[in-house]
Amino acid sequence: MDVLFFKVALAAYLMTTLGYVVSLLVKRVAAAKASTWLFFFAFIIHAGYFGARCIQTKQSPVLGMHDALSFLAWIIAGIYLAFQLKTRTRILGAFVSPVVSLLMIVASVGLGAQVSIPATVQGHLVPFHVAMSVAGEALFVLASCAGAMYLIQDGLIKRKKGRSFIMLLPSLGDLDKINRICLLWGFPLLTAGILVGSIWARTVWGSHWQWDPKQTWTLMVWICYALLLHQRLAIGWAGHKAAILSVAVFIIFLVSFIVTNRLFTTLHSFI
Amino acid sequence: MNLILIGMNHKTAPLEIREKLSLSCLNTVDPIAEMMNIPQVREAMYLSTCNRVEVLAHATEREGVLESLKGFIFFHGNLPPEELEKCLYVYFDDEAVRHLFRVASSLDSLVMGEPQILGQVKDAYYRSVEQKATGIILNKVLHHAFRVAKRVRTETAIAGNAVSVSYAAVKLAKKIFGDLRGKAVLLIGAGEMSELTARHLLNSGVSKIMIANRTHARALQLAEEFNGTALEFDHLGESLRSADIVISSTGAPGYIITREMVDAALHGRKKHTLFLIDIAVPRDVDPEVGDLDNVYLYNVDDLQEVVDENMKNRRQEAQKAVAIIDEEVEKHRVWKNSLAAVPTIVSLREKTEGIVKGELERCGPWLKTLGEKERNNVEILANAIVNKIIHDPIIGLKEESQDHGNTPYVAAFRRLFKLDDT
Repeated sequence: MDVLFFKVALAAYLMTTLGYVVSLLVKRVAAAKASTWLFFFAFIIHAGYFGARCIQTKQSPVLGMHDALSFLAWIIAGIYLAFQLKTRTRILGAFVSPVVSLLMIVASVGLGAQVSIPATVQGHLVPFHVAMSVAGEALFVLASCAGAMYLIQDGLIKRKKGRSFIMLLPSLGDLDKINRICLLWGFPLLTAGILVGSIWARTVWGSHWQWDPKQTWTLMVWICYALLLHQRLAIGWAGHKAAILSVAVFIIFLVSFIVTNRLFTTLHSFI
Repeated sequence: MNLILIGMNHKTAPLEIREKLSLSCLNTVDPIAEMMNIPQVREAMYLSTCNRVEVLAHATEREGVLESLKGFIFFHGNLPPEELEKCLYVYFDDEAVRHLFRVASSLDSLVMGEPQILGQVKDAYYRSVEQKATGIILNKVLHHAFRVAKRVRTETAIAGNAVSVSYAAVKLAKKIFGDLRGKAVLLIGAGEMSELTARHLLNSGVSKIMIANRTHARALQLAEEFNGTALEFDHLGESLRSADIVISSTGAPGYIITREMVDAALHGRKKHTLFLIDIAVPRDVDPEVGDLDNVYLYNVDDLQEVVDENMKNRRQEAQKAVAIIDEEVEKHRVWKNSLAAVPTIVSLREKTEGIVKGELERCGPWLKTLGEKERNNVEILANAIVNKIIHDPIIGLKEESQDHGNTPYVAAFRRLFKLDDT
């Protein structure tokens, strides 16, 4: 049952991506509108998947790589839909939905597999740690999506090119606002996630911080985001520079994620 | 049915002639009443805008009416018929419908895609309605035209992009800032185009306007006009600090806004984005300003390029609109053909037979309790009643259709029995 939910959600996300791409190619809003509704549908089904999984495993549905990736995808989709309600930034979906689809495809590798849950992650604090960290990361993903779109459009406007494409993008002002809001919300969430994790680490591993490769890289990413937020809030960076930095930090984040999972043996090996 | 459309537009007739015609019609007479006085004319409409004068009539015959309508135009045109004849275009039936659809969809306008024409066609139609000069044919054609115009607007991007320099600047400002509410405009120098741009910006929600002019009196005057504030021309650098959008159009020989000025202004403030529109020739703003972060500089040539490209897009979109219009003209033709008597009688019979069949089926359970013979009798009775009822209308319709002017009658008949789906 839960597997079916997952497959339907994945198919809907893929169709959404296709819809947005078509809308960009033919330069019509109607296709993007339909895609947004499909996106919403996929989001609901995906939520149903988590519900079903919760009932089945009788615990938090977010454990292990598969769940974490799909949860990340779900949170990103949810935040985007919330933005869509509040602002007229429909075409941001064209950047968000491929990311969501990709995460879901990667997540589908571990679909239906029985996760053996190590004793270290069986505790009431773990779901909070996972949910907050993943939500924080999801917001950073969106922040950098908005940043990337900002950079593309900024370049086009400055070089006075690609006007029919520009017409489809949200305005620079809106993109900058999205970038800022995502950072403002994402940073405290990630911080809280790390703190809760470190409290839990003390209960299972004896100390708050082990200087495990995973922890080190995460700390580095956290510092980068702290720096970005500082530049934005205290120095007053906005627009072009802030967009560049948020994209750059996101690349660091991705690299750290891949590097720590592939190259190092880590205590934090479940995700 | 004879639909006749005669007219002249900006392509076929010079302004002086159109002017004469429309003035004469408006001042001295009631054009609709005058057309309705032509005996064969059943319905009439008169459309006059700054780019066209057109009459549309539904008449019982073609040639004589055409001459009378032309006579009406020659009389008001106040020019020799030979000269006027050259300016006129004449369309009949389907072609008249097509032309009307094109006009309403703004394909025939001077600025293709401009939105006013639909309103003007609607006004012209309502004037005819008020004078009871419309009937079933014009009502149908005109309402169809309004629908077509709406379809063209929503399904093509014909009215999508700005086709004037000042409006293109506003669109660009929206692309950069998103919401223009709360933004401040600095107007340097004066001139028709810059004032027009400022006005467009104000209409789009810009809340504050500052004016700097070498002649301070002129600045004060503009400030009053725009409900803004006049600033000292010598303190431009300072004025830049509080502006989000700058429109410059002075007659200065060199650059009056330099990179250093803008750089300094940006550092001393919280807002980060600045959009400069340089309308002046020679240019007022050093092109290097555009290299600064979060600063966007467009000069008059850049904007003109935007406009040219949009114009090109509109022409491409017009192709799609033509396809839509072809499709709708065809739909209209189908409706018109349905107005002949025979298809109408056939569809009435089909409808009544359907009703009888449906009602008999509804009574199926009860009918089953009857014997074979009684059942047949009930069916015969039901059919007989229905046939008696529709007999006289059908005879009446056949008689009417001998007359040439039967179409309104058939159309009314179709509506009465609801034989058309729409």
